[in-house]
Amino acid sequence: MSAILIRGGRLIDPLNRIDAVRDVVVRDGRIAAPIPGENYAETIDATGCVVMAGGIDMHTHIGGGKVNLARLLMAEDHRDGANPIALPDNLLELASCGTCAPGTLATGYRYVEMGYTAAFEPAMVPSNARHAHMEMGDVPVLDHGAYVMLGSDELFLELLAQGGPDLKNFDQIRDYTAWTINASKAMGVKVVNPGGISAFKFNQRKLDVDEKHVRWEVTPRQVVHALARALKELGVPHPLHIHGSNLGVPGNIRSTLDTIAALEGLPAHLTHIQFHAYGTEGPKKFSSAALQIAEAVNANPQISIDIGQIMFGQTVTASGDTMRQHAQSDLANPRKWVGADIELMAGCGVVPFRYREQSYVNALQWVIGLEIFLLVKNPWQVVLTTDHPNGGPFTSYPHLIRLLMDRSFREEQLAKLHPDVVAGCALKSITRELTMEEIAVMTRSGPAKLLGLKDRGHLAEGAAADIAIYRERSDREAMFRTPEWVFKDGTLVAKSGTLLATPVGGTHFVEPGYDPAIEKTLRKHWKDHAAINFDNVAITHDELCSCCNGGRLLPAECFTGGEA
Amino acid sequence: MSASATAASAWTCPFCPLACDHAGVRVGAGAEPLQLTGAECARARDALAGFTSAAALPTAEIDGRCVTLDAAIDAAVQRLAASRQPLFAGLGTDVAGLRALYPLACATGAICDAAPGDALMHGLRALQDRGQFTTTLAEVRTRADLIVFVGGLPLPAAPLIRERMGIGDAQVPQRHVVLLGPKPSDEAVLQGWAGPGVTVEVLPLHGDLFDTVSLLDALVAGRPAMAGASVPDGLRSLAQRLRAARYAVISGSTAKLPEQGALIVETLYRTINELNRSTRAAALWIGGGNGVATANQVFAWLSGVPLRSRAGPRGLEHEPLRYGSLRLIAQGAVDALLWVASFDAEAAPPDNSLPMIALGHPALADRCRRDGSIFIAVSTPGIGSTGHVFRTDGTVLMPLRAARPDALPTVAAVAQRMLAALPARSAA
Repeated sequence: MSAILIRGGRLIDPLNRIDAVRDVVVRDGRIAAPIPGENYAETIDATGCVVMAGGIDMHTHIGGGKVNLARLLMAEDHRDGANPIALPDNLLELASCGTCAPGTLATGYRYVEMGYTAAFEPAMVPSNARHAHMEMGDVPVLDHGAYVMLGSDELFLELLAQGGPDLKNFDQIRDYTAWTINASKAMGVKVVNPGGISAFKFNQRKLDVDEKHVRWEVTPRQVVHALARALKELGVPHPLHIHGSNLGVPGNIRSTLDTIAALEGLPAHLTHIQFHAYGTEGPKKFSSAALQIAEAVNANPQISIDIGQIMFGQTVTASGDTMRQHAQSDLANPRKWVGADIELMAGCGVVPFRYREQSYVNALQWVIGLEIFLLVKNPWQVVLTTDHPNGGPFTSYPHLIRLLMDRSFREEQLAKLHPDVVAGCALKSITRELTMEEIAVMTRSGPAKLLGLKDRGHLAEGAAADIAIYRERSDREAMFRTPEWVFKDGTLVAKSGTLLATPVGGTHFVEPGYDPAIEKTLRKHWKDHAAINFDNVAITHDELCSCCNGGRLLPAECFTGGEA
Repeated sequence: MSASATAASAWTCPFCPLACDHAGVRVGAGAEPLQLTGAECARARDALAGFTSAAALPTAEIDGRCVTLDAAIDAAVQRLAASRQPLFAGLGTDVAGLRALYPLACATGAICDAAPGDALMHGLRALQDRGQFTTTLAEVRTRADLIVFVGGLPLPAAPLIRERMGIGDAQVPQRHVVLLGPKPSDEAVLQGWAGPGVTVEVLPLHGDLFDTVSLLDALVAGRPAMAGASVPDGLRSLAQRLRAARYAVISGSTAKLPEQGALIVETLYRTINELNRSTRAAALWIGGGNGVATANQVFAWLSGVPLRSRAGPRGLEHEPLRYGSLRLIAQGAVDALLWVASFDAEAAPPDNSLPMIALGHPALADRCRRDGSIFIAVSTPGIGSTGHVFRTDGTVLMPLRAARPDALPTVAAVAQRMLAALPARSAA
């Protein structure tokens, strides 16, 4: 039994309310109590360093159909002008490249080098679940999981329509939701443009929160409420993950506030909220609604958000929201895009974007994201994301952290933007600088809590030894770019930006119970409409194992009774 | 309230891009061939007939001599290690096989291409240049009121295309199926599809296929310069039909497109984008069977770049034209060939005199037998082993169950052993 001592570092462990110089002992892949007189196999001198749990990105498009389409589309991202991307120097790394559309191998390598140890794919289409798990299994080192998409699938909308105003068939909807989570081995459920992806297939071009789907005559309000309620009753730890209506549309703050209202107090996570926080004020009829968002989040402690901060430069947006991606496809840069209607379940749209500092709209998007970060009071309700790659690649996180922690740096960057945005924005008068502890909450402790990962995101005895150790530096970007040491389940996986080991990560998922009688309804639906045998839909544990490359299966517990 | 997802399973046919899972396999005794049950499909029937009910025994050959698997792998490794520029081609295997081939390709600097790579590149190059809008079988089955096949029906590549698209089932009350650019045999098949709820129409080309789809695109877009007197009525009315359809689907087989077929694919996507401004339309290409589409997806997700790539001395190089396997062999640009064909008993390696390692369907042994050739019979996913392959629409990864498990090594197992035995190389 070999143990590791991490000595003299400043331990920042917000979940356990620790911010103090304290030694940490790792034994058998877990945080352990020191044993007097124990000989350590290795002692890490972390003096002058900050010790945190490994980073957890709870919303990053790392694997599955649309991510691979983004790779195929973005040939530019996989060469350096006319030259190929050089092979890695490190023999542990296989050739893999890309920044906004990286290969799965590169995705794992780059995350680990930044001190992240888990990442969650937020938009797994049920019919594409095997593929998504395969790709995640090929992301080295990181633990992973996915939220399965529901709410624009024809069966859900049909059931919702059948239920009528008082949703008398709610049990069926709840069982179908649970069945889908089990069948696809998901960690939660995401709804994308509720009902809207389906509506686009029926040639509807927009769907407001109280607007009826042309075919099923149900509204996004009904979709959101039914799914949020189902997850609550099932005890799924991560509440409904919502990509709201009208993404990117000026004035969509109305839809976002309506969506929060539709929840009627049920818990939910509103994702890439920056893209849903636009007003219509000012000469360009496009303005920041960050303050309204912040007020709503501050007033609703059962709501959490991630930001989807945009970062300037080239990226590609990959979304399940076919309706909105189609609407924005004329803005594609370079001028090409991919769309798909998928299996009566979902859709996808992949549109390259280049965010420019001198674009009024892009500059304001950048400002809105930062305003929300700084105006929401409780960091446990906010997760740091760029919605990789939609707002920007995940490799820009250290830069984002510096923007949040360093006001003078933020103002320097702000001054480079479109002058009308600089002149009119509230951001320039916001003085808040996030603390190290707040960053730790937004990048690991908060996501772990929101996902129900009891042994991750903190460093109390018994927790998994996923650890990132950063050398204290006043340049926070440099500090968070390259941790000195990164441990995954107690194995040293990176040192000073060099990968040292590439263990296969585990798969997080939940297994809520349901009444198997629902399968009769599902079997009939599949026979009448689908293009796969119903018996081939569900992924078993054994199959998940082979999809995930033999990584550990990490089922998370559902809440029961009073916990929920 | 308690259950977890059930583990029932249905056999998935691995022999064509449709990956049907509504049929079964009858396993008899001894040398009796496997038989398709519950469906009539010539391609599946013929492919199954290439397997005996009793599982085949592992075989390996060097220069036509029977050897042990260990000896074959040792010799294969020596051959790869001695090669200055190997080519991994065919790539007829499942996700697991490709996951194992990729590190081997990295370690040897091999160029990787599938067969038929040209057909794959038609779609890929169009996607890289302009993007695409696609749909899937269940969407076609439940929505498509107009289906246009371009450049012929996807036969015999996908025999059950009519059934899988739902042509003739009641999901859509009235469908119109158009064949643009007919071949005589296709015409007869198409006429047979007409019936209650299905009307069919054959339209001849106006010039070549590219000319025809370009003209159709101009008509759909309403570009007046093209609306000359020479426009055939049939094309004009097809453009109108496309605009009036609720959900039009353009389909075909990229393997049937001529050289530079990417330009045709690109033009059709432009038409679809135009249609999607006012109504709904999408494409569904039928192809990528025998692991081809799977190889492209797996290599793309691992490395970032699709097929016709290599981890070469300058870096990760993707060359959709230069790295075509036939071209490389003809030009003498490669000095060793690793041929992979675990599904198709007809997928013999291209003519070549290179040192060759073939991981193949047992029936390919005869056609791989020559001096300088190493042959290892591998298990066929879906017959002798489990696995996963992508269906033609690229979004459904189908599970393959073993119809009758065998003891042949999988491509993954052989590739892993080869990698483990390869002398370590230094970093680039």
